[in-house]
Amino acid sequence: MTHHRRAPLLPWLITTIGALVMTLPFTDMFLTSLKDPGDYAHLPYRFLPSAFAFANYRDAADELDLATLARTSILTALTVTVSVLCTSSLAGYALAKLRFPGRALLFRFVLATMMLPPFLLLIPHFLILAHWPLAGGNDLYGNGGAGLTTGITALVLPFTVSAFGIFLMRQFITTIPDEILEAARLDGAGELTLWWRIVLPQTTPALITLALLTFTIAWNEYIWPLLISTANPCLMTLPVGMQLLQGHLDPQRTTPLLMAALVISALPVLALFLLLQRHYVRGITEIVEL
Amino acid sequence: MLFYAVFVILPVLFTGALALSSGVRPGLSDMTFAGADNFASLFSDGSSFLFPVLTNTLLYAVGTTVLTTVGGLVAALCLARLPGQGLWRTLYFLPVVTNLVATGNAWKHLYQPDGPLNALLNTLGMDSVGFLQNPATALPSVMIVQSWASLGSAVLILSAGLTTVPRDCLEAAELDGAGPLTILIRITIPLLRPALLFVSITQLLAGLQSFALITVMTENGGPGDTTNVAALEMYRRAFTYGDWGTASAAAFVLLLITLTLALAQLRLFEREGKDT
Repeated sequence: MTHHRRAPLLPWLITTIGALVMTLPFTDMFLTSLKDPGDYAHLPYRFLPSAFAFANYRDAADELDLATLARTSILTALTVTVSVLCTSSLAGYALAKLRFPGRALLFRFVLATMMLPPFLLLIPHFLILAHWPLAGGNDLYGNGGAGLTTGITALVLPFTVSAFGIFLMRQFITTIPDEILEAARLDGAGELTLWWRIVLPQTTPALITLALLTFTIAWNEYIWPLLISTANPCLMTLPVGMQLLQGHLDPQRTTPLLMAALVISALPVLALFLLLQRHYVRGITEIVEL
Repeated sequence: MLFYAVFVILPVLFTGALALSSGVRPGLSDMTFAGADNFASLFSDGSSFLFPVLTNTLLYAVGTTVLTTVGGLVAALCLARLPGQGLWRTLYFLPVVTNLVATGNAWKHLYQPDGPLNALLNTLGMDSVGFLQNPATALPSVMIVQSWASLGSAVLILSAGLTTVPRDCLEAAELDGAGPLTILIRITIPLLRPALLFVSITQLLAGLQSFALITVMTENGGPGDTTNVAALEMYRRAFTYGDWGTASAAAFVLLLITLTLALAQLRLFEREGKDT
């Protein structure tokens, strides 16, 4: 570059301060998770722990029963991810490559559902699950029992289909040349075989992006699992458990243990994000280009 | 083919039916027609719905939108002048992928009366602030966290927008003797308008609907009702008090506000399209 640029002092300063503000809560969370009770009670507040109490992590895991919470979280997030991948790519395939009446209208309808505010669906989703016919003690008309609100299905069911996922997969599947599909059809392959043998392998990068975004959102979801687990505490996920179980800890030790538990609850998606950022970025850009 | 059609239509219809049933029909079986009673009770004297709940909702949405958009713009402009953009963007994006319970509690800890932020203030010779305990500072304190948590997406989108600003334009202006501030206001911001609009509108809509962070940080909208917002009020009416009727009415009012603003957004975008 021939054009000489001034040393950008102000941008450096602002960005560095900004980065400090962005990471301070995480740093403080991590440092606090390593303090023993006396260390934590020290006044005035000290950012750095005087010794590293790594035992906090073990104690937090024991006292909050993190293993059970983590199991529910992992099971829920994985089930949601797998089902969103299946429904999105199947529906995306249908919308991109199959000719049927009303296809354009249907696609617009899917896009429209993306605009639905999530809070609006809370009440109907809950009522539908509670009045699911012939489940959880309900009669044929959906009355009398608890419906589907007491099982792990309650955590998963509302999230099995994603309008954004359908949109994303449709965009990618449209780019697969029709000739490949036609050739396979001539060889006698059915639509499901085409989907499995051709569509899925051709769209692997998009599937990875969708899987990461879905897993992250499902793992971090708070309001819905909170709602479900107030009826049935066995269905607590990690974030819900963190929030609800705070009061069960010995107050003197609460904060460092809680911070340790929060670090544990945040680590899986943070690790995924740091390892596979470019896939995340692609997903976000797709949303913007909508 | 039929199989795929059914696979798509069913869940979509399902969602559609749900959306329709919420505002008008609160229950599935033992419901009675109540007309506008639910709405009337929401807006009756002595109801907290209009004030402070709806007022808080609007303050929260507008405040977080301004903070995120302005903060995102400043950060994106600064980042564009520095090496190692990817690393910076990653740092700014971390809160976006972390769960609200973790980040909300981390901030709650920062905000403690004896906590880190107040220790910092004291070292600088200032008095302690009861961030979440004081009714006057509680809502702004949560707003800061909400903006902090969504800043990363704004930076990402605005940075992408900045790369589309033609270099020649900037260099030509510089040769004409325009200062950095003039260039920013006269050239960069107008060219960034689509990205800025996108960021601010999505933030506004998200802000109107958000309540998860508030429940995490303030135990149900406290102190008093000072951090209560419409979506939280709806949640509490429905699932804490079992009052499906007024809860659905509250949801409906919030939906109307959201739709109005979304339509205003479409208008703005259309005008934008004609201008360029």
